[in-house]
Amino acid sequence: MMPRYFKSLCGLLLAVAGSTSFATEPVKVVLEFEPDPANGRYLFEICARCHLPEAWGDNEGNYPQLAGQHTNVLMKQLLDIRSGRRDNPTMWPFVQERTIGGYQNLVDVVSYVATLPMNPHHSQGPWPQGTEEYKEGMQLYQTNCSSCHGAGGEGDNASYYPRLQGQHFSYMKRQAIRVRDGLREVDPAMAAVIKALSDEETDKVLNYISYLPVPAKDLAPSADWRNPDFE
Amino acid sequence: MSDEKHFTRRRFLQFTGLGLTAGAAGAPVVATAQLKDAVGGTPPAIAKLLREALLPQPKGARVVVVGGGWSGLTIAKYLKRYNPAFDVLLIDKQPAFVSFPLSNSWLADQIHLDFLSHSFFDAADNHKYHFLQATVLGVDRTSRKVYTDVGYIAYEYMVLAPGIDYDYGRIGVDDPEQQELLFQHYPGGFVSTSELLTIKHKIQSFKGGTFLLNVPSGDYRCTAAPYERACMVAALFKKRRVRAKILLLDMNTGIKIKKDGFHRAFDELYKDYIEYLPSSEISGVDLDGKAITTEFDEYPFDDAIIYPPIRASRLIEEAGIVNPRSPQMAANTDPFRYHVVGDEHVYVTGDSRGQPFSKGGHTAHSEGKYVAEVIAAHALGKEVAWRSPQTMCFSSVEIDPLQAMSIITYYKFNKQTNVFDFDRTHMIEDWDIQGGQASLAWAEGMFRDMFYR
Repeated sequence: MMPRYFKSLCGLLLAVAGSTSFATEPVKVVLEFEPDPANGRYLFEICARCHLPEAWGDNEGNYPQLAGQHTNVLMKQLLDIRSGRRDNPTMWPFVQERTIGGYQNLVDVVSYVATLPMNPHHSQGPWPQGTEEYKEGMQLYQTNCSSCHGAGGEGDNASYYPRLQGQHFSYMKRQAIRVRDGLREVDPAMAAVIKALSDEETDKVLNYISYLPVPAKDLAPSADWRNPDFE
Repeated sequence: MSDEKHFTRRRFLQFTGLGLTAGAAGAPVVATAQLKDAVGGTPPAIAKLLREALLPQPKGARVVVVGGGWSGLTIAKYLKRYNPAFDVLLIDKQPAFVSFPLSNSWLADQIHLDFLSHSFFDAADNHKYHFLQATVLGVDRTSRKVYTDVGYIAYEYMVLAPGIDYDYGRIGVDDPEQQELLFQHYPGGFVSTSELLTIKHKIQSFKGGTFLLNVPSGDYRCTAAPYERACMVAALFKKRRVRAKILLLDMNTGIKIKKDGFHRAFDELYKDYIEYLPSSEISGVDLDGKAITTEFDEYPFDDAIIYPPIRASRLIEEAGIVNPRSPQMAANTDPFRYHVVGDEHVYVTGDSRGQPFSKGGHTAHSEGKYVAEVIAAHALGKEVAWRSPQTMCFSSVEIDPLQAMSIITYYKFNKQTNVFDFDRTHMIEDWDIQGGQASLAWAEGMFRDMFYR
């Protein structure tokens, strides 16, 4: 049963809404924060319990490679998971304010992740360069993906387009399936592309993406590299 | 009706004998004979077991999941997600779920019982499967039926995730009466909710003296938990200034996980409270004299929590699917696909599994997602690539606020030695407040996944 005070509040809101028939201007709020990577390093201790200190993700597809990802993309995911827009029940409590803190802390932790070098041996699809499937994947990529994600899969921070180079094949595949099945809400244009592709085409295009080269300057010197901040 | 005919009287008697006597060796034959002689026909209470359970007609291929722990709950949810056409039924004999993971933090008053307690109804409602509170008595894999105390249920696929049972024989307590006394007076706290409530009461009302805890041998449930529990009990005694000594008898030669961290916690935080004694092979318990005997010594106690070595749930034995080479009576299953050898319609997961993965909630949860995919794929004639389960384990050592260490690991199959090795292990042995916070967020996320989202 709805408590009485709540009912009267609803009534009040309706009354206010009903009276505002005059035109209103949209109000945009932009908040800016100076990132503090040192605080981000401190906060990342919580994240590293699962994502590990390198933030490289795993071959099983449970965790994405976070290292090297654009800060705006990381920030958007944190906020989407916090609000429930992106359904991730096991991560949800970690990004609530009571655990990780407010916007400043999110900015700090994202800026810390941005300092990490990428995994030089992320998991790749089954068809290397030279195979027919690779070539088909490349064509599909150029037709469907490169206009937003970039010819090299570099993404775009300003537009919130994720960087795809270096992402685990298995992770991308799981996410594609979730989007296809309506379990992950993404930009409608992105969802439309995934839904238009067959399962085989999705495999091929993700396979191609997994072979996109990552610039050497962004990579860790070897797969044995360990985050010295956590030694 | 045809089902009752198919299930012959002879097989029925064999079956009930096994199920009702819960695996006591030699007993089934006696029970069968007595039943036959005494009544001639089928007694009404037994006839009830032979009827089909009154359930809504399944709207798709029925998958019965036996056991509503971390494994069963995860599998029930993800079966529905990966194949919405499945009619999924989760069965558990307990009326509600209380989490064992994080229960040590509750023992030390760091969280409320509400945090650990969840309703099977919510899980079933939110994930669109059915829940039945019933006790599974046995399985007939030939006709694909599972027998419960409310009748039988036909299945297309079945997942057995019944967890563990204690094996008191391995600490020299074989007499059933002594076993019952030991279980009820000094429960281990790893199988049923009443054990946890008894332990909480023990700790909260302890007036002083020797409080004995032990670490079992073998592959027991939750490797770090007995060490963590010693810390949490010590923390509470320290806070309340209880004059107590916690005697921690380890049946192993040393601490098996987060060794340096636990040793440091014992030395730095609880030097006046915890006495740790490795290589203490328990050979008997004197209930009247309140003492534990080992090969060389006797340890008197004022109160105790006795965690005996464990075995796979007796249901695995009653279903006739024990791996004869398994010392803990684990199931004989395919190590990658989890089905019983020779039967791709019956799967065994969680702490009854055949593989030697670390027994605990997170392992069961990550494994469960994979097994749900395996079954959904099997129904379509497909296969999914094997992927390692993941073990995540927090250990709290300090309270107010809670501070914890953590470890995360995967497994990889070593083709040379034919065994699973740990892979990509990451351990944080310096306990801190973030670790404590992370342990709570971890558990909350798991509950959210299994019950609400």
